[in-house]
Amino acid sequence: MITRDGLGEDTEFARFHPLVSFMYFALAIGITMFSMSVIFLSVTFVCSWIYSVLLKGVAGAKENLIFTVSTLVIMALINTFFTHNGATVLFYINNNRITMEAFVYGICAAVMLVSVIIWFSCFNVIMTADKLIYLFGKAAPVLGLTMSMIFRFIPLLKNRFKAISMGQRGMGREKAATFTGKARQLTKETSILIAWSLESSIESADSMEARGYGLRGRTSFNLFKLSERDILMLAVMAVLGGICIYGCVTGITGMYYYPEIEWPKADLATALTAACYAVLLLLPAAVDIIGEIRWKRYA
Amino acid sequence: METIRVKNFTFKYPLAETEALRDISFDVNESEFIVLCGKSGCGKSTLLRQMKKNLIPYGHSEGEVLYMGAPVSELDDRVSAAEIGFVQQNPENQIVTDKVWHELAFGLESLGFSNKAIKRRVAEMASYFGIQSWFRKNVSELSGGQKQLLNLASIMAMQPKLLILDEPTSQLDPIAASEFLRTIHKINRDLGTTVIISEHRLEEAFTIADKAIVMDQGRIIAYDTPRKIGGFLAGDDSQEPHPMFYGMPSVLRIFASAGVREHTPLTIREGRIRLEKMLSEVPKAPHEMLMPRVTEEDKKVKKDECALFMKDVWFRYSQHGSDVLSGLDLTVRKGQWYCLLGGNGVGKSTTLKCISGVEKPQRGKVICDLKMAMLPQDPQALFTEITCEEELAEALYYEKISDEVKIEKAEAMLRLMEIEHLRKANPYDLSGGEQQRLALGKILLLEPEMLLLDEPTKGLDPFFKRTLAGILRKLTDGGVTIFMVSHDIEFCAEYADMCAMFFDGNVISVEKPHDFFAGNSFYTTTANKLVREWKPDAVTCEEVSTWLNTVI
Repeated sequence: MITRDGLGEDTEFARFHPLVSFMYFALAIGITMFSMSVIFLSVTFVCSWIYSVLLKGVAGAKENLIFTVSTLVIMALINTFFTHNGATVLFYINNNRITMEAFVYGICAAVMLVSVIIWFSCFNVIMTADKLIYLFGKAAPVLGLTMSMIFRFIPLLKNRFKAISMGQRGMGREKAATFTGKARQLTKETSILIAWSLESSIESADSMEARGYGLRGRTSFNLFKLSERDILMLAVMAVLGGICIYGCVTGITGMYYYPEIEWPKADLATALTAACYAVLLLLPAAVDIIGEIRWKRYA
Repeated sequence: METIRVKNFTFKYPLAETEALRDISFDVNESEFIVLCGKSGCGKSTLLRQMKKNLIPYGHSEGEVLYMGAPVSELDDRVSAAEIGFVQQNPENQIVTDKVWHELAFGLESLGFSNKAIKRRVAEMASYFGIQSWFRKNVSELSGGQKQLLNLASIMAMQPKLLILDEPTSQLDPIAASEFLRTIHKINRDLGTTVIISEHRLEEAFTIADKAIVMDQGRIIAYDTPRKIGGFLAGDDSQEPHPMFYGMPSVLRIFASAGVREHTPLTIREGRIRLEKMLSEVPKAPHEMLMPRVTEEDKKVKKDECALFMKDVWFRYSQHGSDVLSGLDLTVRKGQWYCLLGGNGVGKSTTLKCISGVEKPQRGKVICDLKMAMLPQDPQALFTEITCEEELAEALYYEKISDEVKIEKAEAMLRLMEIEHLRKANPYDLSGGEQQRLALGKILLLEPEMLLLDEPTKGLDPFFKRTLAGILRKLTDGGVTIFMVSHDIEFCAEYADMCAMFFDGNVISVEKPHDFFAGNSFYTTTANKLVREWKPDAVTCEEVSTWLNTVI
């Protein structure tokens, strides 16, 4: 299942309705940010790694590893040496208490930060521009259209800038050696880009108005279809997510680090909530793997 | 009822001295296909814009423009948006959204259709226009022709009754242009949509159109079927033909000047049939003359005569990409006007980039010691100032000469490019042809010894093409070397010193225009295609006309 480049954005889970993907990431990231209990942190950390390696492959894993290790070291060090709370003193530096609690808290906070960031990197892969545009368009049609226009303009401006640079080189204005020369040339090219784009946007505005932009009651078209399996998935995620959020509210997902570390209780409620959380987080990975296996069998 | 009725319409832009449109009257019936032609700046766009409510320019107008009996300016916004479609010149600027499918749906979203209704309409349009294969693509991945087709489809999705197109093919290459025109024809034929289109490329538009309107200086000088227009503009034998006559399709011009005034042929096929009858006495050319000849390459160019020397040049854009230039050999003599012809995406523009030094070839030699300047395809890429005279002076910014000399030089260039009357105008307010002139002027102020041109005739009307040819010829007479990349066969045939066929990363044949086009059988001028069987070495319209007049 683990490939060099990962499954990318064409996974089985990505084929679900954008609402499903959005709800998944909202729950995963949201709950991660409100749970400091080591149990829940380990669950989210492990799951985020599994999913990101599945999506982004070995290349992605390398990136994650470097990022994880460096964040862990830096945050553990900073918290240990700058926070002096905690009952268990390990040693003193210049009359400053260095405590075990501060060290553990630093590690746990780093784990949380790393998990959130890895979840966001998965979000980036799955939530492509058109899905975001759809979701924003649901909130307000103008917002969706604006985003769509922005995504249209980025490559357009890039190409125009290339044409301008080439035009300038065609006039014999080579890249100047001095800093001021470079700055002057860049300013000139940018100003051409702005003038050109503003002028052409008049035509775009004409074309929008010619096609009835500004009439009352504009709708927002999309190619997505909310099917039964989407609704089923949403329901499952709502139940699992609901249990976890209840856990957050009642404090099951949290724990105390100061003045003394209070390790989470191993009772039924905690086990149940953690299990729900793990199932929720592993849903997309499971869906993707089942999808891949089915496809292999089919092919 | 007439779809469009224009009655005694006169229009004047604010602050303008003369009227842009003068006393225009004409009717367009339902499902007609009307071609509007005339010089750049004769009022075509101004007239077309009067027919679409939100595009009517500011200014003083008299008379009326009626759509289905109601004044256009008083139409309901919803009716105007849905029933009158307007396609503009530039394919790029009309596209608003990032995805093809979203662009198709744009108009329907505005009209407030439900998701289901839009889906159905969009599916219909995509199938009709053959867009299925790129339906989910980003618009930035499309070619120019695809973009313009998308603009058209996106308007057709609203099912307009009247389709207005303002020089829609001027930014497209010939193949995309003729595909676009065929699509318009199909719409007119299959759906009965009324079409009013302004065009410079009349070769194809004339064969499709029911009627043509010819405009000159804000007036309509002719409104008739295309077949009759040619005869009318050619005038009697005693008088000079009307200037607009030179903008007519080759076939029409050849026959009109040979005295054929009734049922003038429009296509090469019709022309051949007519010629077979007219020239039954004239012997056909021997078969050998039609065979492609193998010419010896011009290897004897001395070093000091050589302006550009390319030897075994290989180029590709990425390590694992395919070769764009594969072993290209090319020699241009000093003071020569050299045209590189060829289809789309064969590497013509890449060759230009390698010559100008924008790209470095991976292998081979490119030697050019002359001072080079390049005119880009989009003149806007050069404009920095707010008036034309300042724009020209900007070219001399880095020159170490006094301001008086700079002004003098800019002044002289304004005169040479025939844009003195526009000195205070903003470069962006100029028409496409005028912008091209301004950009060329700017480049020429750098006093290059070698001028590189990328599709310089794109979007120009036939009249300015003649002027441009004059300007370029003056330059080569003064010792400047011109290297030009073009799709414009007719232009190259008439004016170039050397034509080269570029294909698959290499120059296939280089010859003087006469030998070049006489040796080709598909890739040649309309005039040549018409009379190949009798006189394969006649290439331009004028040659064919004079020859025809001597034989009959």
